[in-house]
Amino acid sequence: MRRLINLRPSRQGTFFLGALPFAIVLVIYFVFSSLRLAENPADKLMPAFSTMGEAIVRVAAEPEQRSGTIVLWADTGASLVRLALGLGIATAIGLVFGILNGLIVYARVTLAPFVGVLSMVPPMALLPILFIMLGLEETSKVALIVIGVAPYLMRDLALRVEELPGEQLVKAQTLGASTWVIVARVVLPQILPRLIDGLRLSLGPAWLFLIAAEAIASTEGLGYRIFLMRRYMAMDVILPYVAWITFLAAISDWVLVQISRRAFGWAHLGRGA
Amino acid sequence: MATLRVENLWMEYGAQTVLERVNLDVADGAFCALVGASGCGKSTFLRLLLSQERPTRGTILMDGQPLPQDPGPDRGVVFQRYSVFPHLNAVQNVALALEIARAPGLGRLFGKARRAALSEAEVMLADVGLGHACGHYPAELSGGMQQRLAIAQALARKPRILLLDEPFGALDPGTRTQMHGLISRLWRETGMTVFMVTHDIREAFALGTRVLVFDKTRHDPQAPGAYGATITYDLPVDRSTSKVPSASEEKSAP
Amino acid sequence: MAELRKKIARTLRVGLVAVAALGVALAGGPAEAATKTSFKVAWTIYAGWMPWGYAVDQGIVKKWADKYGISIDMVQMNDYIESINQYTAGSLDGVLAANMDALTIPAVGGVDTTSLINGDFSNGNDGILMKTGKTVADLKGAKVNLVELSVSHYLLARALESASLSERDVKTVNTSDADFIAAYGTGDVQAMVAWNPALSDLKTRKDANLVFDSSKIPGEIIDIAIVNTATLKDNPALGKALVGAWFEVLSIMQKNDAAGIAARTAMAKASGTDLAGYESQLATTRMFYTPAEAVAFTKSPQLPETMKRVRDFSFSHGLLGNGAKSADVVGMEFPGGVVVGDPKNIKLRFDLTFVEMAAAGKL
Repeated sequence: MRRLINLRPSRQGTFFLGALPFAIVLVIYFVFSSLRLAENPADKLMPAFSTMGEAIVRVAAEPEQRSGTIVLWADTGASLVRLALGLGIATAIGLVFGILNGLIVYARVTLAPFVGVLSMVPPMALLPILFIMLGLEETSKVALIVIGVAPYLMRDLALRVEELPGEQLVKAQTLGASTWVIVARVVLPQILPRLIDGLRLSLGPAWLFLIAAEAIASTEGLGYRIFLMRRYMAMDVILPYVAWITFLAAISDWVLVQISRRAFGWAHLGRGA
Repeated sequence: MATLRVENLWMEYGAQTVLERVNLDVADGAFCALVGASGCGKSTFLRLLLSQERPTRGTILMDGQPLPQDPGPDRGVVFQRYSVFPHLNAVQNVALALEIARAPGLGRLFGKARRAALSEAEVMLADVGLGHACGHYPAELSGGMQQRLAIAQALARKPRILLLDEPFGALDPGTRTQMHGLISRLWRETGMTVFMVTHDIREAFALGTRVLVFDKTRHDPQAPGAYGATITYDLPVDRSTSKVPSASEEKSAP
Repeated sequence: MAELRKKIARTLRVGLVAVAALGVALAGGPAEAATKTSFKVAWTIYAGWMPWGYAVDQGIVKKWADKYGISIDMVQMNDYIESINQYTAGSLDGVLAANMDALTIPAVGGVDTTSLINGDFSNGNDGILMKTGKTVADLKGAKVNLVELSVSHYLLARALESASLSERDVKTVNTSDADFIAAYGTGDVQAMVAWNPALSDLKTRKDANLVFDSSKIPGEIIDIAIVNTATLKDNPALGKALVGAWFEVLSIMQKNDAAGIAARTAMAKASGTDLAGYESQLATTRMFYTPAEAVAFTKSPQLPETMKRVRDFSFSHGLLGNGAKSADVVGMEFPGGVVVGDPKNIKLRFDLTFVEMAAAGKL
C-alpha cells in the first residue's frame, strides 16, 4: 500500500479530475433547474441550458430592436475599452511612481506616505465624488479603475525596485550609467515581469470596479447589462454574462502569462545571478 | 594604471567607529589583498574606495585627485553575488558597458554600432573563457561562469582600479583555482591597480603583491564599538615565487 | 459608505439568489404550498408602504395574524428589486410591488400571483425633470437618466407619447436610484426621471423643471401587495390577516387626531424625513384609505386598460421574456371575469375577495 502523498494520477486522470468539479456543478445545476422547471416551466431563477442558449443567440447574434446593435458585442467592446484604458493609465502611473519611489530617495520620502494613505482609501467610497467631479460618462468609470488599481501597482513596483540588489545599482554606476540609464536599462526591464504579475492580480479588482461603475450610470457595458437584466430577473441572460466575464478574465490572465513568458523568458529561469 | 593615497581615514556610524587612522600609499599596478576578521572593516574600506560611502574624516586621492563623489567607470567592481544583470544574456551584459560608454545619454546603441558592440563583447567573453555561453542568461550559468562574466563586464570599460569584494568566496576550490589564474593574467595584461577583499589568507598571498591586514589596535570591553580597525600589517609579497596556476589551467571549463 | 457597500453586495447577491434557490428547491418552495401557519412577507421603504412598518411596530400585524391563528413575519428589506426577486424565487410568500414589476418579474416568471390589495397609485410621486427644457417636447434629442425598465421608464414612454414623441427621440442612460441626487449635480445630466423622496429634493433645485409627472397619468403606476396565489388559496387566513391589518393602520394614520399624527410622524421618521416631508410625499400618493375606495378602483374598467398598456410597454422592451411571441403570453385576470392576455396562462390576478370582506366589515 503506497502512501497517499506519493500517488500521482496519469495524464488522462489529471484531465478527468480537473474537469470533474465543473461537471459536478453543471449536473447539480441541471438537476435543480429541471426540478424547478417541472414545477414552473416559466421559472426565471434557474433557466434550462436551452433557454440560456436561446438567450445567448439573442444577445450575441441578433441586433437589438431598439438600438440596432448586437448587445453582447457592444457591451463587451464598451467594457473592454474601459478596462484597457483604466489598466493602461494605472500601469503608467504605477510604473512612473513605483520607480520614482523605489529608486529615488527624495521621491520616496516625499511621496511614499501620501501613496500609503491613498492606497487605504476605499475606491468605492470615492465613486459619488468621482461622479460629481468627472461626470457620469466614461471618465469617471475609467478613473475608478485607475484609483482602485494604481496605488497597489505603485506600491508593489516600488517594493520590487527596492528589492533589486544594491550591488546591481553600484555595478551599473561603475559602468558609467546615469540615473536615467539605470532606470531605462537596469530597473525598468527587471520590473516589467513584476508589473505583469501585478496586473494579473489587479484584473479581479479592476473588473469589480468596472462593473460597480457601470451599474451606477451607463448606456452599455457588461456590468450595465447584468444590472439591467436583474431589473426583471432575466437569469437566462445574467448567467451567460457572468460566464462570459469569467472567460474574458481568464483569457486576459492567460494572455498576460504568455506575454511574460515570451518577452521575459529570463524571469522564468528561476533565481537570477 | 592609478596610484592611490589614503590619508588619516576614519569611518564612523553614529557612536560606532569602524575604521580609524587608516593611512595607505598604493603604487600604480599593485595588487592589494585586504584580509582580516569578519566585521573588521575591510569591506567598508572597499565601499569607500568605490565612493559607495563617504568617509567621516580623511581623504582618498586617486592619482593625486580627490575621489569622485559617485561610483564611476574609473573604478570597476566585482561583488561576490549580484554583479551581473539577470535580464541580459552574457553578451548583452558585457555589451551594456560598451553601449553606455558610447551612448551615455540613452545607454543604448542601434543598428551597426550595436552589432559592433556585441561582437566586441563576444571577443571579451571568449577571453574569459565564456565564448561558448554568449547567449546564456546568468541564471543558466554556474557560479564560476557568472563571476567570469562579472569580471569581463567590469573590465569592458577599462577601469584604472578594479575592486573585488570576496569575488571567489562562493565558489568551490577547483573553480576558485581557475579563477585565480584568470584574474592574475588579466591583472598582468591590463596593468590595473587591484584591491581584493578576501577572508582566505592563502588566496591573499597567492594573488596579492601586498597583503593588508585590518584589525583593531585598541579595545574597550565596555564599548566594543568605540574603536575602529586600521591596517595593522602591510606585507609585501614577491609574486615571482608565489604559486599561481598557469594560463592553460585557467581556461579549462569551470 | 453604506449605500455603496450595498451595491457591491447586490452584485454578489444576484449570484447568491441562485444558490439560495437550491435550498428552496430542496426544501420545497411555496409553489407546492398546503395549509401552513407561518408566512414571510417583505416590504421596502416607500411613502405608500410605510404603514406596513408602523403596523409591525404597533403589533397590528401580529394582532390580526393571531386572530386567524397564523404568524406573519413581515420583514423590511433594503433593496426593492431584491425583495421582488426573492419572492419570485420562492423564499417569500408575499411582497409589495409596483404593478409593472409584479407583471414582469413574478408573473412572467411563472409564479401565479394575486394582487391582494391595490394600496395606492402614484399621483406625482414619479416625475421627469429637465435642466433647461420646460416641456415634454423639449426632451427631443435629450439624454435622459433613469432606472431603465422600471416604472420610471414607463412614465417616460407615456410622457413622450403625450408629446407625439417616441423613445427613439431620446437617449436613455441607466442610473442607479441611490445616485439620483449625486448624478443630477453633474454636468452630464440633461434630464432625469426620478421618484420620491429624491424627486422632491431635486425639485427644489434652480436647474430643475418638472416637465411631467405621474399625476398626468393617474392610476397607471399602482403599488400593490402581492401574494403567491397557491399559498393564498390554501391559506385564506393570510389574506384576511394582511387586509385586516392594512385597513386598520390606514384608519389610524388618516385621522388628524393625536394618534393619527403620531402614526404619520413615526412613518416619517422611519422613511428618513420629518412629518412635513412625509405629508408632502403622501400628497402625491393617492392612498385608498378605505376598502370601498380600493374596491371601486379595482373594479373600474380603467384598470384592465392600464395593465394592457403596461403589458404592451413591457413586451416592446423585452420584459415578457425570451420566448414571448406576443404581448398576450401572460394572462391577467380582473374582477368580473375580465381577462387580458392568454386565459390559459393567467399569472396575475387582481382579487377583491378579501378587500370586499373588509368593506362589508366581515374581517
